[in-house]
Amino acid sequence: MAAKSGKLNEVVLQGNEACAKGALYAGCRFFAGYPITPSTEIIEMMSGEMQKAGGAFIQMEDEIGSACAIIGARWGGSKAMTATSGPGYTLMQEAIGFAAVTETPIVIVNVQRGGPSTGQPTLSSQQDIYQARYGSHGDYEIIVLAPSSVQEMYDFTIKAFELSEQFRTPVILLADEVVGHMREKITIRDGSKTIKAERQKYVVSPQADFFQGAFTTVEGQLHDEQGRRIGHIAHKSGEFIYNLNKKITDNVDVISDISTYCMEDADVAIVAYGSVARPSLNAVKHARGIKDARIAPKFKIVRDIMKRGIQKTIQTDYSHLKVGLVKVNTVWPFPEELLKQATERVDTVIVPEMNVGKYSREVERVLKDKNVVPMSKCGGDIHTPIEILDKIMEVTGLDEEVEINE
Amino acid sequence: MRLNIRFAGSGGQGVILASVLLSKAYGLGENYNIAQTQSYGPEARGGACKAEVVVSDEEIDYMKVTKADVFVALNQVGYDKYIDTVKDDAIVLINSTLVESDRPNVYRIQATQRAEDMGKPFVVNIIALGALTRLMPKIHYPAVEEEIKNNFNASIAASNLDAYKMGYDIMDADLKELGYKTGFGDSRQW
Repeated sequence: MAAKSGKLNEVVLQGNEACAKGALYAGCRFFAGYPITPSTEIIEMMSGEMQKAGGAFIQMEDEIGSACAIIGARWGGSKAMTATSGPGYTLMQEAIGFAAVTETPIVIVNVQRGGPSTGQPTLSSQQDIYQARYGSHGDYEIIVLAPSSVQEMYDFTIKAFELSEQFRTPVILLADEVVGHMREKITIRDGSKTIKAERQKYVVSPQADFFQGAFTTVEGQLHDEQGRRIGHIAHKSGEFIYNLNKKITDNVDVISDISTYCMEDADVAIVAYGSVARPSLNAVKHARGIKDARIAPKFKIVRDIMKRGIQKTIQTDYSHLKVGLVKVNTVWPFPEELLKQATERVDTVIVPEMNVGKYSREVERVLKDKNVVPMSKCGGDIHTPIEILDKIMEVTGLDEEVEINE
Repeated sequence: MRLNIRFAGSGGQGVILASVLLSKAYGLGENYNIAQTQSYGPEARGGACKAEVVVSDEEIDYMKVTKADVFVALNQVGYDKYIDTVKDDAIVLINSTLVESDRPNVYRIQATQRAEDMGKPFVVNIIALGALTRLMPKIHYPAVEEEIKNNFNASIAASNLDAYKMGYDIMDADLKELGYKTGFGDSRQW
Protein backbone atom coordinates (compact mmCIF):
# COMPACT_ATOMS: atom_id res chain seq x y z
CA MET A 1 0.00 0.00 0.00
CA ALA A 2 2.80 2.39 0.85
CA ALA A 3 3.38 3.37 -2.75
CA LYS A 4 6.25 5.65 -3.57
CA SER A 5 5.15 9.11 -2.64
CA GLY A 6 4.63 11.63 -5.39
CA LYS A 7 4.33 9.25 -8.34
CA LEU A 8 1.93 10.65 -10.91
CA ASN A 9 -1.10 8.68 -12.04
CA GLU A 10 -3.65 9.41 -14.71
CA VAL A 11 -7.18 8.56 -13.62
CA VAL A 12 -10.78 9.33 -14.49
CA LEU A 13 -12.41 10.64 -11.33
CA GLN A 14 -15.50 12.49 -10.28
CA GLY A 15 -14.90 15.93 -8.78
CA ASN A 16 -15.99 14.76 -5.35
CA GLU A 17 -13.71 11.73 -5.49
CA ALA A 18 -10.83 13.95 -6.58
CA CYS A 19 -11.50 16.17 -3.58
CA ALA A 20 -11.29 13.17 -1.22
CA LYS A 21 -8.06 12.01 -2.92
CA GLY A 22 -6.61 15.50 -2.65
CA ALA A 23 -7.43 15.68 1.06
CA LEU A 24 -5.73 12.34 1.72
CA TYR A 25 -2.70 13.44 -0.25
CA ALA A 26 -2.60 16.69 1.74
CA GLY A 27 -2.38 14.67 4.93
CA CYS A 28 -6.00 14.79 6.09
CA ARG A 29 -6.33 12.00 8.64
CA PHE A 30 -9.68 12.81 10.19
CA PHE A 31 -12.98 13.14 8.41
CA ALA A 32 -16.36 13.64 10.02
CA GLY A 33 -19.41 14.18 7.88
CA TYR A 34 -23.06 13.62 7.22
CA PRO A 35 -23.98 12.57 3.68
CA ILE A 36 -25.88 15.07 1.55
CA THR A 37 -26.37 15.32 -2.21
CA PRO A 38 -24.37 16.50 -4.13
CA SER A 39 -21.35 16.02 -1.85
CA THR A 40 -22.02 12.42 -0.77
CA GLU A 41 -19.27 10.90 -2.91
CA ILE A 42 -16.63 12.68 -0.82
CA ILE A 43 -17.93 11.02 2.32
CA GLU A 44 -18.35 7.73 0.51
CA MET A 45 -14.76 7.68 -0.66
CA MET A 46 -13.41 8.90 2.68
CA SER A 47 -15.23 6.11 4.51
CA GLY A 48 -13.37 3.57 2.40
CA GLU A 49 -9.98 5.21 2.03
CA MET A 50 -9.41 6.86 5.39
CA GLN A 51 -8.76 3.64 7.28
CA LYS A 52 -6.29 2.48 4.64
CA ALA A 53 -4.42 5.74 5.20
CA GLY A 54 -4.38 5.15 8.94
CA GLY A 55 -6.82 7.91 9.79
CA ALA A 56 -10.30 8.08 11.28
CA PHE A 57 -13.66 8.46 9.59
CA ILE A 58 -16.88 9.14 11.47
CA GLN A 59 -20.37 9.50 10.08
CA MET A 60 -21.80 12.01 12.51
CA GLU A 61 -25.36 12.59 13.69
CA ASP A 62 -25.55 15.85 11.71
CA GLU A 63 -23.51 18.66 10.22
CA ILE A 64 -23.22 20.59 13.50
CA GLY A 65 -21.50 17.58 15.02
CA SER A 66 -19.35 17.10 11.92
CA ALA A 67 -17.96 20.63 11.98
CA CYS A 68 -17.35 20.51 15.73
CA ALA A 69 -15.66 17.11 15.48
CA ILE A 70 -13.10 18.28 12.94
CA ILE A 71 -12.23 21.28 15.13
CA GLY A 72 -11.59 18.90 18.03
CA ALA A 73 -9.62 16.55 15.80
CA ARG A 74 -7.38 19.38 14.65
CA TRP A 75 -6.71 20.38 18.25
CA GLY A 76 -5.78 16.76 18.83
CA GLY A 77 -3.23 16.97 16.03
CA SER A 78 -4.92 15.53 12.93
CA LYS A 79 -5.49 17.52 9.79
CA ALA A 80 -9.25 17.41 9.40
CA MET A 81 -11.96 18.04 6.84
CA THR A 82 -15.71 17.80 6.41
CA ALA A 83 -17.90 18.05 3.33
CA THR A 84 -21.49 19.09 2.84
CA SER A 85 -23.91 21.08 0.73
CA GLY A 86 -26.10 24.14 1.37
CA PRO A 87 -28.45 22.90 4.13
CA GLY A 88 -25.59 21.28 6.03
CA TYR A 89 -23.35 24.26 5.47
CA THR A 90 -25.95 26.46 7.13
CA LEU A 91 -25.84 24.24 10.21
CA MET A 92 -22.04 24.50 10.32
CA GLN A 93 -21.93 28.29 10.63
CA GLU A 94 -21.61 28.34 14.41
CA ALA A 95 -18.62 26.02 14.29
CA ILE A 96 -17.01 28.03 11.49
CA GLY A 97 -17.08 31.15 13.66
CA PHE A 98 -15.63 29.14 16.51
CA ALA A 99 -12.84 27.80 14.28
CA ALA A 100 -12.13 31.34 13.11
CA VAL A 101 -11.90 32.80 16.60
CA THR A 102 -9.86 29.90 17.98
CA GLU A 103 -7.70 30.03 14.83
CA THR A 104 -8.15 26.36 14.06
CA PRO A 105 -6.97 25.23 10.60
CA ILE A 106 -9.78 23.13 9.13
CA VAL A 107 -11.11 22.56 5.63
CA ILE A 108 -14.82 22.61 4.87
CA VAL A 109 -16.11 21.60 1.44
CA ASN A 110 -19.42 23.02 0.29
CA VAL A 111 -20.63 21.44 -2.93
CA GLN A 112 -23.35 23.95 -3.68
CA ARG A 113 -26.82 22.95 -4.74
CA GLY A 114 -29.88 25.09 -5.40
CA GLY A 115 -31.35 26.82 -2.36
CA PRO A 116 -32.82 28.24 -0.21
CA SER A 117 -33.53 25.50 2.34
CA THR A 118 -33.49 21.97 0.91
CA GLY A 119 -33.97 23.64 -2.48
CA GLN A 120 -32.74 21.57 -5.39
CA PRO A 121 -30.78 18.55 -4.15
CA THR A 122 -29.45 17.44 -7.52
CA LEU A 123 -28.96 20.71 -9.35
CA SER A 124 -26.22 23.27 -9.28
CA SER A 125 -25.99 26.85 -8.03
CA GLN A 126 -23.55 29.44 -6.74
CA GLN A 127 -25.99 30.89 -4.26
CA ASP A 128 -23.73 30.36 -1.23
CA ILE A 129 -21.06 32.79 -2.40
CA TYR A 130 -21.95 35.31 0.31
CA GLN A 131 -22.66 32.72 2.97
CA ALA A 132 -19.18 31.32 2.45
CA ARG A 133 -17.80 34.73 3.33
CA TYR A 134 -20.32 36.12 5.82
CA GLY A 135 -22.06 32.98 7.11
CA SER A 136 -21.09 33.13 10.76
CA HIS A 137 -21.75 36.13 12.97
CA GLY A 138 -19.17 38.67 13.98
CA ASP A 139 -16.17 40.16 12.24
CA TYR A 140 -13.86 37.55 10.81
CA GLU A 141 -12.08 36.96 7.53
CA ILE A 142 -12.02 33.66 5.74
CA ILE A 143 -10.39 32.07 2.71
CA VAL A 144 -12.65 30.58 0.05
CA LEU A 145 -11.47 28.70 -3.05
CA ALA A 146 -13.69 28.00 -6.08
CA PRO A 147 -12.62 25.07 -8.29
CA SER A 148 -13.88 24.85 -11.87
CA SER A 149 -12.59 21.45 -12.96
CA VAL A 150 -11.95 18.02 -11.51
CA GLN A 151 -8.20 18.69 -11.54
CA GLU A 152 -8.83 21.87 -9.58
CA MET A 153 -11.01 19.98 -7.10
CA TYR A 154 -7.88 17.93 -6.38
CA ASP A 155 -5.36 20.76 -6.47
CA PHE A 156 -7.46 23.29 -4.56
CA THR A 157 -8.22 20.80 -1.78
CA ILE A 158 -4.48 20.43 -1.25
CA LYS A 159 -4.11 24.19 -1.43
CA ALA A 160 -6.94 24.62 1.09
CA PHE A 161 -5.02 22.53 3.61
CA GLU A 162 -1.85 24.50 2.95
CA LEU A 163 -3.57 27.87 3.37
CA SER A 164 -5.45 26.79 6.49
CA GLU A 165 -2.19 25.75 8.11
CA GLN A 166 -0.33 28.87 6.99
CA PHE A 167 -2.95 31.25 8.28
CA ARG A 168 -4.48 29.18 11.08
CA THR A 169 -7.93 29.71 9.71
CA PRO A 170 -10.81 27.66 8.38
CA VAL A 171 -10.69 27.42 4.58
CA ILE A 172 -13.81 26.77 2.50
CA LEU A 173 -13.68 24.86 -0.76
CA LEU A 174 -16.71 26.27 -2.55
CA ALA A 175 -17.51 23.79 -5.30
CA ASP A 176 -20.83 23.25 -7.01
CA GLU A 177 -22.84 20.32 -8.27
CA VAL A 178 -21.38 20.58 -11.77
CA VAL A 179 -17.73 20.20 -10.73
CA GLY A 180 -18.66 17.86 -7.88
CA HIS A 181 -20.41 15.36 -10.10
CA MET A 182 -18.39 15.83 -13.28
CA ARG A 183 -15.87 13.19 -14.29
CA GLU A 184 -12.66 14.13 -16.04
CA LYS A 185 -9.25 12.68 -16.64
CA ILE A 186 -6.83 14.12 -14.12
CA THR A 187 -3.36 13.57 -12.71
CA ILE A 188 -3.06 12.63 -9.07
CA ARG A 189 -0.14 11.68 -6.86
CA ASP A 190 0.52 8.60 -4.77
CA GLY A 191 1.17 8.75 -1.08
CA SER A 192 1.02 11.82 1.09
CA LYS A 193 2.52 15.24 1.02
CA THR A 194 4.06 16.71 4.12
CA ILE A 195 2.67 20.17 4.55
CA LYS A 196 5.05 22.31 6.47
CA ALA A 197 3.44 23.49 9.66
CA GLU A 198 5.42 26.67 9.20
CA ARG A 199 3.12 29.65 9.56
CA GLN A 200 3.39 32.76 7.51
CA LYS A 201 6.04 34.57 9.53
CA TYR A 202 4.54 37.99 9.06
CA VAL A 203 1.10 36.95 10.26
CA VAL A 204 0.14 38.72 13.46
CA SER A 205 -1.99 36.25 15.29
CA PRO A 206 -3.95 37.16 18.42
CA GLN A 207 -3.16 33.91 20.20
CA ALA A 208 0.04 31.93 20.79
CA ASP A 209 0.26 28.97 18.43
CA PHE A 210 -0.84 26.02 20.50
CA PHE A 211 -0.50 23.73 17.50
CA GLN A 212 3.24 24.34 17.80
CA GLY A 213 3.40 23.53 21.49
CA ALA A 214 2.42 26.84 23.09
CA PHE A 215 0.63 26.13 26.37
CA THR A 216 -2.64 28.03 26.17
CA THR A 217 -6.33 27.42 26.68
CA VAL A 218 -8.77 27.37 23.79
CA GLU A 219 -11.46 29.98 24.11
CA GLY A 220 -14.42 31.06 22.02
CA GLN A 221 -14.67 34.40 23.77
CA LEU A 222 -12.15 36.99 22.72
CA HIS A 223 -8.90 36.13 24.39
CA ASP A 224 -5.30 37.19 24.87
CA GLU A 225 -2.09 35.43 23.86
CA GLN A 226 -2.57 32.79 26.54
CA GLY A 227 -6.22 32.21 25.77
CA ARG A 228 -7.51 34.13 28.78
CA ARG A 229 -10.81 35.95 28.30
CA ILE A 230 -10.60 39.62 27.45
CA GLY A 231 -14.18 40.10 26.29
CA HIS A 232 -14.81 42.61 29.08
CA ILE A 233 -11.83 44.81 28.15
CA ALA A 234 -12.86 46.99 25.24
CA HIS A 235 -9.50 48.14 23.91
CA LYS A 236 -7.94 44.68 24.07
CA SER A 237 -10.98 43.13 22.42
CA GLY A 238 -10.80 45.70 19.65
CA GLU A 239 -7.17 44.88 19.07
CA PHE A 240 -8.02 41.17 18.94
CA ILE A 241 -10.64 41.70 16.25
CA TYR A 242 -8.31 43.85 14.16
CA ASN A 243 -5.50 41.31 14.43
CA LEU A 244 -7.78 38.40 13.60
CA ASN A 245 -8.93 40.16 10.44
CA LYS A 246 -5.52 41.57 9.53
CA LYS A 247 -4.14 38.06 9.44
CA ILE A 248 -6.02 37.69 6.16
CA THR A 249 -6.48 41.27 4.91
CA ASP A 250 -2.77 42.09 5.21
CA ASN A 251 -1.95 39.06 3.12
CA VAL A 252 -4.52 39.32 0.34
CA ASP A 253 -1.68 39.55 -2.16
CA VAL A 254 -0.22 36.27 -0.90
CA ILE A 255 -3.54 34.46 -0.88
CA SER A 256 -5.17 35.86 -4.03
CA ASP A 257 -5.07 33.83 -7.19
CA ILE A 258 -6.70 34.58 -10.53
CA SER A 259 -6.15 33.16 -14.02
CA THR A 260 -6.49 35.31 -17.10
CA TYR A 261 -7.11 34.38 -20.72
CA CYS A 262 -6.75 36.76 -23.65
CA MET A 263 -6.80 39.80 -21.36
CA GLU A 264 -3.77 41.51 -22.94
CA ASP A 265 -5.78 43.50 -25.48
CA ALA A 266 -9.33 42.91 -24.30
CA ASP A 267 -12.05 45.57 -24.33
CA VAL A 268 -14.60 43.36 -22.62
CA ALA A 269 -13.78 41.08 -19.69
CA ILE A 270 -15.76 38.20 -18.30
CA VAL A 271 -15.20 37.69 -14.58
CA ALA A 272 -16.25 34.19 -13.54
CA TYR A 273 -15.55 31.69 -10.79
CA GLY A 274 -16.30 28.01 -10.28
CA SER A 275 -17.87 25.93 -13.01
CA VAL A 276 -19.25 28.97 -14.85
CA ALA A 277 -15.67 29.85 -15.83
CA ARG A 278 -15.77 26.89 -18.24
CA PRO A 279 -18.57 28.03 -20.61
CA SER A 280 -17.11 31.54 -20.23
CA LEU A 281 -13.76 30.36 -21.56
CA ASN A 282 -15.53 28.62 -24.41
CA ALA A 283 -17.37 31.84 -25.25
CA VAL A 284 -14.11 33.81 -25.18
CA LYS A 285 -12.49 31.35 -27.57
CA HIS A 286 -15.40 31.70 -29.97
CA ALA A 287 -15.41 35.46 -29.68
CA ARG A 288 -11.71 35.53 -30.45
CA GLY A 289 -12.11 33.13 -33.32
CA ILE A 290 -9.43 30.92 -31.81
CA LYS A 291 -9.33 28.01 -34.14
CA ASP A 292 -8.63 24.60 -32.90
CA ALA A 293 -10.01 21.18 -33.54
CA ARG A 294 -12.97 21.81 -31.32
CA ILE A 295 -14.26 24.84 -33.06
CA ALA A 296 -16.11 24.43 -36.30
CA PRO A 297 -14.25 26.29 -39.04
CA LYS A 298 -17.06 28.68 -39.78
CA PHE A 299 -19.56 30.32 -37.53
CA LYS A 300 -22.83 30.91 -39.18
CA ILE A 301 -24.10 34.32 -38.37
CA VAL A 302 -27.61 34.99 -39.44
CA ARG A 303 -28.28 38.65 -39.96
CA ASP A 304 -31.67 39.98 -39.30
CA ILE A 305 -32.02 41.26 -42.84
CA MET A 306 -35.71 41.93 -42.53
CA LYS A 307 -35.05 44.30 -39.68
CA ARG A 308 -32.07 46.01 -41.26
CA GLY A 309 -33.44 46.29 -44.74
CA ILE A 310 -30.04 46.03 -46.43
CA GLN A 311 -27.64 43.16 -46.63
CA LYS A 312 -24.31 43.66 -44.95
CA THR A 313 -21.10 41.75 -45.02
CA ILE A 314 -21.59 38.56 -43.09
CA GLN A 315 -18.96 37.95 -40.46
CA THR A 316 -17.50 34.49 -40.61
CA ASP A 317 -16.20 34.56 -37.08
CA TYR A 318 -16.16 36.80 -34.05
CA SER A 319 -12.46 37.56 -34.09
CA HIS A 320 -13.27 41.26 -34.15
CA LEU A 321 -14.54 40.90 -30.58
CA LYS A 322 -11.78 41.57 -28.09
CA VAL A 323 -13.00 39.58 -25.13
CA GLY A 324 -10.97 38.12 -22.26
CA LEU A 325 -11.64 36.00 -19.21
CA VAL A 326 -10.64 36.54 -15.61
CA LYS A 327 -11.17 33.34 -13.65
CA VAL A 328 -11.19 33.97 -9.91
CA ASN A 329 -9.70 31.01 -8.04
CA THR A 330 -9.70 32.52 -4.54
CA VAL A 331 -13.11 34.16 -4.37
CA TRP A 332 -12.56 35.39 -0.79
CA PRO A 333 -10.74 37.46 0.32
CA PHE A 334 -11.79 39.46 -2.73
CA PRO A 335 -8.75 39.77 -5.04
CA GLU A 336 -9.17 43.52 -5.40
CA GLU A 337 -5.73 44.50 -6.64
CA LEU A 338 -5.31 41.59 -9.02
CA LEU A 339 -8.71 42.22 -10.54
CA LYS A 340 -8.00 45.94 -10.94
CA GLN A 341 -4.72 45.18 -12.68
CA ALA A 342 -6.20 42.53 -14.94
CA THR A 343 -9.12 44.70 -16.05
CA GLU A 344 -7.15 47.92 -16.30
CA ARG A 345 -7.83 48.55 -19.99
CA VAL A 346 -11.33 47.12 -20.38
CA ASP A 347 -14.51 49.19 -20.41
CA THR A 348 -17.06 46.52 -19.73
CA VAL A 349 -17.06 43.61 -17.32
CA ILE A 350 -19.60 40.78 -17.55
CA VAL A 351 -20.11 38.68 -14.42
CA PRO A 352 -21.97 35.44 -15.15
CA GLU A 353 -22.99 33.48 -12.05
CA MET A 354 -25.57 30.89 -11.04
CA ASN A 355 -27.39 33.07 -8.51
CA VAL A 356 -29.35 36.31 -8.52
CA GLY A 357 -26.18 38.32 -9.12
CA LYS A 358 -24.12 38.54 -5.95
CA TYR A 359 -20.45 38.52 -6.80
CA SER A 360 -21.13 41.17 -9.43
CA ARG A 361 -21.86 43.63 -6.60
CA GLU A 362 -18.39 43.03 -5.24
CA VAL A 363 -16.91 43.52 -8.71
CA GLU A 364 -18.94 46.72 -9.05
CA ARG A 365 -17.59 47.99 -5.74
CA VAL A 366 -14.00 47.52 -6.85
CA LEU A 367 -14.30 48.50 -10.51
CA LYS A 368 -16.21 51.74 -10.02
CA ASP A 369 -15.36 53.31 -13.36
CA LYS A 370 -16.26 50.26 -15.45
CA ASN A 371 -19.56 49.16 -16.86
CA VAL A 372 -20.25 46.05 -14.76
CA VAL A 373 -22.96 43.84 -16.26
CA PRO A 374 -24.33 41.11 -14.02
CA MET A 375 -25.45 37.96 -15.79
CA SER A 376 -27.48 35.99 -13.36
CA LYS A 377 -28.92 32.55 -13.99
CA CYS A 378 -31.03 30.63 -11.51
CA GLY A 379 -32.75 27.29 -11.74
CA GLY A 380 -29.91 24.81 -11.78
CA ASP A 381 -28.55 24.94 -15.32
CA ILE A 382 -25.10 26.31 -15.98
CA HIS A 383 -24.72 29.16 -18.50
CA THR A 384 -24.20 28.01 -22.05
CA PRO A 385 -21.45 29.55 -24.23
CA ILE A 386 -24.15 30.88 -26.56
CA GLU A 387 -25.86 32.77 -23.77
CA ILE A 388 -22.56 34.35 -22.81
CA LEU A 389 -21.75 35.21 -26.44
CA ASP A 390 -25.20 36.76 -26.77
CA LYS A 391 -24.45 38.91 -23.76
CA ILE A 392 -21.13 39.95 -25.26
CA MET A 393 -22.95 40.95 -28.46
CA GLU A 394 -25.46 42.89 -26.43
CA VAL A 395 -22.94 44.88 -24.42
CA THR A 396 -20.78 45.61 -27.45
CA GLY A 397 -23.86 46.83 -29.32
CA LEU A 398 -23.52 44.29 -32.13
CA ASP A 399 -26.74 43.13 -33.59
CA GLU A 400 -25.79 39.64 -34.67
CA GLU A 401 -27.39 36.33 -34.02
CA VAL A 402 -25.03 33.84 -32.49
CA GLU A 403 -24.67 30.24 -33.45
CA ILE A 404 -22.10 27.74 -32.32
CA ASN A 405 -21.87 24.50 -34.19
CA GLU A 406 -19.44 22.10 -32.56
CA MET B 1 -12.53 16.48 -32.88
CA ARG B 2 -15.32 16.92 -30.40
CA LEU B 3 -17.96 14.26 -29.85
CA ASN B 4 -21.04 15.22 -27.85
CA ILE B 5 -22.74 12.12 -26.51
CA ARG B 6 -26.03 12.14 -24.62
CA PHE B 7 -27.75 9.27 -22.80
CA ALA B 8 -31.34 9.52 -21.61
CA GLY B 9 -33.54 7.12 -19.72
CA SER B 10 -35.11 6.64 -16.37
CA GLY B 11 -33.38 6.37 -13.01
CA GLY B 12 -32.44 2.74 -12.39
CA GLN B 13 -31.75 1.79 -16.00
CA GLY B 14 -28.05 2.42 -15.61
CA VAL B 15 -27.91 5.53 -17.74
CA ILE B 16 -25.13 7.15 -15.73
CA LEU B 17 -23.13 3.95 -15.34
CA ALA B 18 -23.13 3.40 -19.10
CA SER B 19 -21.87 6.94 -19.65
CA VAL B 20 -19.19 6.54 -16.98
CA LEU B 21 -17.90 3.31 -18.55
CA LEU B 22 -17.84 4.90 -21.99
CA SER B 23 -16.05 8.01 -20.73
CA LYS B 24 -13.45 5.94 -18.89
CA ALA B 25 -12.89 3.83 -21.97
CA TYR B 26 -12.33 6.94 -24.08
CA GLY B 27 -10.26 8.63 -21.38
CA LEU B 28 -8.00 5.83 -20.20
CA GLY B 29 -8.24 3.20 -22.94
CA GLU B 30 -8.09 5.50 -25.95
CA ASN B 31 -6.33 8.44 -24.29
CA TYR B 32 -8.76 11.24 -25.16
CA ASN B 33 -9.86 14.07 -22.93
CA ILE B 34 -13.31 13.48 -21.55
CA ALA B 35 -15.90 15.29 -19.46
CA GLN B 36 -18.84 13.34 -18.13
CA THR B 37 -21.78 15.09 -16.50
CA GLN B 38 -25.26 14.09 -15.47
CA SER B 39 -28.58 15.42 -14.40
CA TYR B 40 -31.24 13.61 -12.44
CA GLY B 41 -33.96 14.19 -9.88
CA PRO B 42 -33.93 13.36 -6.17
CA GLU B 43 -35.59 9.96 -6.65
CA ALA B 44 -33.54 6.76 -6.47
CA ARG B 45 -35.54 5.15 -9.28
CA GLY B 46 -38.04 6.19 -11.89
CA GLY B 47 -37.24 9.85 -12.46
CA ALA B 48 -35.94 11.26 -15.71
CA CYS B 49 -32.21 10.84 -16.01
CA LYS B 50 -29.70 12.26 -18.45
CA ALA B 51 -25.97 11.72 -18.76
CA GLU B 52 -23.56 13.44 -21.10
CA VAL B 53 -20.06 12.65 -22.28
CA VAL B 54 -17.84 15.02 -24.22
CA VAL B 55 -14.85 13.41 -25.94
CA SER B 56 -12.14 15.57 -27.45
CA ASP B 57 -8.49 15.48 -28.43
CA GLU B 58 -8.17 19.02 -27.08
CA GLU B 59 -8.83 20.41 -23.64
CA ILE B 60 -12.54 20.55 -22.93
CA ASP B 61 -13.75 23.90 -21.63
CA TYR B 62 -17.52 23.69 -21.92
CA MET B 63 -18.38 20.34 -20.36
CA LYS B 64 -22.04 20.01 -21.27
CA VAL B 65 -23.71 19.00 -24.50
CA THR B 66 -25.87 21.48 -26.39
CA LYS B 67 -26.40 19.60 -29.66
CA ALA B 68 -25.64 15.91 -29.57
CA ASP B 69 -23.56 14.01 -32.13
CA VAL B 70 -24.65 10.79 -30.50
CA PHE B 71 -27.90 10.17 -28.68
CA VAL B 72 -28.87 7.00 -26.78
CA ALA B 73 -32.44 6.71 -25.50
CA LEU B 74 -33.35 3.91 -23.11
CA ASN B 75 -36.96 5.00 -22.62
CA GLN B 76 -39.63 6.95 -24.47
CA VAL B 77 -39.76 9.92 -22.10
CA GLY B 78 -36.04 10.53 -22.50
CA TYR B 79 -36.28 10.10 -26.26
CA ASP B 80 -39.10 12.60 -26.62
CA LYS B 81 -37.39 15.11 -24.39
CA TYR B 82 -34.05 15.25 -26.19
CA ILE B 83 -34.62 14.10 -29.78
CA ASP B 84 -34.96 17.71 -30.92
CA THR B 85 -31.49 18.62 -29.67
CA VAL B 86 -29.50 16.20 -31.80
CA LYS B 87 -27.63 17.10 -34.98
CA ASP B 88 -29.05 16.06 -38.34
CA ASP B 89 -26.34 13.49 -39.02
CA ALA B 90 -26.24 12.23 -35.44
CA ILE B 91 -26.07 8.61 -34.39
CA VAL B 92 -29.36 7.87 -32.65
CA LEU B 93 -29.55 4.56 -30.80
CA ILE B 94 -32.80 3.51 -29.16
CA ASN B 95 -33.83 0.73 -26.84
CA SER B 96 -36.48 -0.49 -29.26
CA THR B 97 -38.29 -2.55 -26.62
CA LEU B 98 -39.43 0.66 -24.96
CA VAL B 99 -38.88 3.40 -27.52
CA GLU B 100 -40.76 4.10 -30.70
CA SER B 101 -39.29 6.44 -33.28
CA ASP B 102 -40.30 7.65 -36.72
CA ARG B 103 -36.94 9.26 -37.37
CA PRO B 104 -35.10 7.86 -40.39
CA ASN B 105 -31.66 6.34 -39.78
CA VAL B 106 -32.18 5.20 -36.23
CA TYR B 107 -30.20 2.32 -34.83
CA ARG B 108 -32.27 -0.07 -32.77
CA ILE B 109 -31.38 -2.58 -30.09
CA GLN B 110 -33.92 -4.68 -28.17
CA ALA B 111 -32.00 -4.02 -24.97
CA THR B 112 -34.73 -4.56 -22.40
CA GLN B 113 -36.07 -7.62 -24.20
CA ARG B 114 -32.61 -9.19 -24.56
CA ALA B 115 -31.75 -8.50 -20.94
CA GLU B 116 -34.94 -10.16 -19.78
CA ASP B 117 -34.26 -13.13 -22.05
CA MET B 118 -30.89 -13.46 -20.34
CA GLY B 119 -32.69 -13.50 -17.00
CA LYS B 120 -30.64 -10.45 -15.98
CA PRO B 121 -32.82 -7.37 -16.45
CA PHE B 122 -30.13 -5.10 -14.96
CA VAL B 123 -27.84 -5.41 -18.01
CA VAL B 124 -30.05 -3.23 -20.24
CA ASN B 125 -27.51 -0.42 -20.15
CA ILE B 126 -24.57 -2.68 -20.93
CA ILE B 127 -26.30 -4.22 -23.95
CA ALA B 128 -26.94 -0.70 -25.22
CA LEU B 129 -23.34 0.22 -24.40
CA GLY B 130 -22.10 -2.75 -26.44
CA ALA B 131 -24.15 -1.62 -29.42
CA LEU B 132 -23.04 1.97 -28.95
CA THR B 133 -19.36 1.01 -28.78
CA ARG B 134 -19.71 -0.62 -32.19
CA LEU B 135 -21.31 2.54 -33.58
CA MET B 136 -18.76 4.97 -32.18
CA PRO B 137 -15.62 6.11 -33.96
CA LYS B 138 -12.23 6.23 -32.25
CA ILE B 139 -12.99 3.49 -29.76
CA HIS B 140 -12.20 -0.20 -29.75
CA TYR B 141 -13.90 -3.21 -28.22
CA PRO B 142 -11.24 -3.94 -25.54
CA ALA B 143 -11.28 -0.39 -24.12
CA VAL B 144 -14.84 -0.71 -22.82
CA GLU B 145 -14.34 -4.39 -21.96
CA GLU B 146 -11.45 -3.39 -19.71
CA GLU B 147 -13.56 -0.82 -17.89
CA ILE B 148 -16.37 -3.33 -17.33
CA LYS B 149 -13.84 -5.70 -15.77
CA ASN B 150 -12.47 -2.91 -13.56
CA ASN B 151 -15.83 -1.61 -12.42
CA PHE B 152 -17.60 -4.79 -11.35
CA ASN B 153 -16.90 -7.67 -8.98
CA ALA B 154 -15.85 -10.80 -10.82
CA SER B 155 -19.21 -12.46 -10.10
CA ILE B 156 -21.23 -9.77 -11.82
CA ALA B 157 -18.63 -8.81 -14.41
CA ALA B 158 -19.26 -12.07 -16.28
CA SER B 159 -22.91 -11.37 -17.08
CA ASN B 160 -22.07 -7.77 -17.95
CA LEU B 161 -19.32 -8.90 -20.31
CA ASP B 162 -21.78 -11.29 -21.97
CA ALA B 163 -24.29 -8.49 -22.34
CA TYR B 164 -21.62 -6.16 -23.73
CA LYS B 165 -20.54 -8.72 -26.32
CA MET B 166 -24.14 -9.43 -27.28
CA GLY B 167 -24.92 -5.77 -27.89
CA TYR B 168 -21.68 -5.29 -29.82
CA ASP B 169 -22.25 -8.32 -32.05
CA ILE B 170 -25.84 -7.42 -32.88
CA MET B 171 -24.83 -3.95 -33.96
CA ASP B 172 -21.80 -5.30 -35.81
CA ALA B 173 -24.11 -7.43 -37.94
CA ASP B 174 -26.42 -4.46 -38.56
CA LEU B 175 -23.57 -2.22 -39.66
CA LYS B 176 -22.10 -4.87 -41.94
CA GLU B 177 -25.44 -5.09 -43.67
CA LEU B 178 -25.37 -1.35 -44.22
CA GLY B 179 -21.72 -1.40 -45.23
CA TYR B 180 -20.78 1.26 -42.68
CA LYS B 181 -17.54 1.49 -40.74
CA THR B 182 -19.05 3.55 -37.93
CA GLY B 183 -22.55 4.59 -37.00
CA PHE B 184 -22.00 7.89 -38.80
CA GLY B 185 -21.99 5.94 -42.05
CA ASP B 186 -20.94 8.08 -44.98
CA SER B 187 -21.81 11.38 -43.34
CA ARG B 188 -18.51 11.78 -41.50
CA GLN B 189 -15.02 10.55 -42.16
CA TRP B 190 -12.72 9.64 -39.29
